[in-house]
Amino acid sequence: MGTIRVGRPDVKPDTPGHVKGMHQGNKGRTYRQPGHHKDGTADSRRSTGIHWKKHNAIMKIMPNLPPG
Amino acid sequence: MTATDDRARPAERKPAQIVDMSWDPITRIIGNLGIYTKIDFANREVVECRSTSSLFRGYSVFMKGKDPRDAGFITSRICGICGDNHTTCSNYAQQMAYGVKPPPLAEHIVNLGEAAEYMFDHTIFQDNLVFVDFCEAMVKATNPGLLARAERTGAPHAALHGYRTIADVMRAFNPFEGEVYKQALKVSRVTREMFCLMEGRHVHPSTLYPGGVGTMPEPTVFTDYLSRLLKVLDFVKQAVAMNDDVFDFFYEALPGYEEVGRRRILLGCWGAWQNSDVCDYRYETMDEWGRAMFVTPGVVVDGELRTNSLVDINLGMRILLGSSFYEDWAAEQPFVTHDPLGNPVDMRHPWNQTTVPAPQKRDFDGNYSWVMSPRWYDRTSGEHLALDTGGGPLARLWSTALNGLVDTDYVKATGHSVRITLPKSEKLPETTLEWRIPRWSNTIERDRARPYFVAYAAAMAFSFLERAQRLVRGGDVRVFEDFDVPDEAIGCGFHEAVRGVLSHHLVIKDRKIANYHPYPPTPWNASPRDSFGTPGPYEDAVQGQPIFEENGPDDFKGVDIMRTVRSFDPCLPCGVHMYLGKGNTLVATHSPTFGASHG
Repeated sequence: MGTIRVGRPDVKPDTPGHVKGMHQGNKGRTYRQPGHHKDGTADSRRSTGIHWKKHNAIMKIMPNLPPG
Repeated sequence: MTATDDRARPAERKPAQIVDMSWDPITRIIGNLGIYTKIDFANREVVECRSTSSLFRGYSVFMKGKDPRDAGFITSRICGICGDNHTTCSNYAQQMAYGVKPPPLAEHIVNLGEAAEYMFDHTIFQDNLVFVDFCEAMVKATNPGLLARAERTGAPHAALHGYRTIADVMRAFNPFEGEVYKQALKVSRVTREMFCLMEGRHVHPSTLYPGGVGTMPEPTVFTDYLSRLLKVLDFVKQAVAMNDDVFDFFYEALPGYEEVGRRRILLGCWGAWQNSDVCDYRYETMDEWGRAMFVTPGVVVDGELRTNSLVDINLGMRILLGSSFYEDWAAEQPFVTHDPLGNPVDMRHPWNQTTVPAPQKRDFDGNYSWVMSPRWYDRTSGEHLALDTGGGPLARLWSTALNGLVDTDYVKATGHSVRITLPKSEKLPETTLEWRIPRWSNTIERDRARPYFVAYAAAMAFSFLERAQRLVRGGDVRVFEDFDVPDEAIGCGFHEAVRGVLSHHLVIKDRKIANYHPYPPTPWNASPRDSFGTPGPYEDAVQGQPIFEENGPDDFKGVDIMRTVRSFDPCLPCGVHMYLGKGNTLVATHSPTFGASHG
């Protein structure tokens, strides 16, 4: 193998298997997820981190249904 | 002995004129199924039948050592048409092993996806594959006398479906040209879209996981589903009427046709659609949440309900050998000696099974199939019952009807029938359909049950939609519950694949799969003779059945036999192709396909 001549690698390295900051499933349970409430409801933080407080339901009687 | 008793035969019998006839592979099904028969043309009956499969299913072998959380994604690939049933069932088994209960909305989403799957799969199988055996072109080639009579016979539900005579309905069944055939393709597309809304992708779901789903429960997901459901409702109502007309005509025009594919009533149903109010996935409470399912599980023997307890169903499962290409595992170490309730678990139970394939030449006097022989041990009689699924719908409706437990706004089980109410649709008004327990478990009743179950699934879908939308309106959008994988655990999942019973048995050791055995419906239906000599359901149903086809041995199409085999909705799920012999082609005589022009 050592005698085989090869050229310069021109491939991009693989994308990382893990993105820093993301929860890894094998680490165990996720105890906290932004935008998810304990009672099963959610707010717009679940869908976005940008101005999320301005994207909630406009009235209290409305269900808060952030988009996917 | 579970085989069907000998049928009543005419007193005068002619000297037998026996001809070997075989169909291998059988077309218009999934997988490699061969049916080998001996037919007595003088007395017009099938004398002997053997069903064989040249597919080896290696899932139980290569699942070992894998991460159990992957099981749902891997086992989905068992089948190319009902893969989602496997994912769902695998998730049920895993949820038991992990001790996790998904939130109610997740359960409704799974139920909606599965309802769409039943509607899709039954429609495409019945209207595009089964009806080819009942279409004008096929009947003309096999029973011209019957077609002549169909031309003269008015369709009782003509006002509902618009076809004046029975022959008109049969013409609509003609492949590629008939109106029903073409319409069914559109309906199966729409129902598949419904499926994808809930489970992400058909047929291997991308959004079903143990512990919940990844589907975003937005209001539009449910309204998109609802608008499609309403769109196919007219078709569903008309399909039931058309099926009833054609099948009643067969009984009337061919006296004795009830004997075709008739076997002793031995039906198994493992239940479908969990009720999130009751189901907690604990083995200890499995009987309770099993009975709360929206299709009630049950074993029906000779028309009587033997049990509806999932624990009994689970413990009674026995995987027998006898005519299969495997080595016995009786001498191996058992994985599970007792279930969580302390009941002993048999060595032949899927929890303890070890699959050791032993490829060999096919020998109809010895081993002749890759399918094993699953049986259900009946403690009361001591028999190993060769249960069939009746193609799926027959057992589901029969068990649900006898149990009388399902009571929703749209579906009600009465103890002797199932009443299905479908709301007003584009053309037709609100309709209540009633499926009554039939007198026989035969070819026609298996086929007839299918459109009724499409209606059942559509009706239940309305119920699930209402439940899901109620939660969303209240802002409860939880669809996932987190869990830890235990070091050691066992689990079992019971579900209904489209064509019948489905169970997944899982043993976890060191957080890895130590043993995994899926038992889909076709191993039950297509099983060969077991170690007690009991034939499997296909063999049992075909063996001894009369032949109504008017053709002689030279141009024989075997349509009555094909109708019987296809009535079970055969689907020999994918596995690894095994090479038989030294390159010899299996003897293939003929296979009736795509109407009469292909002989």
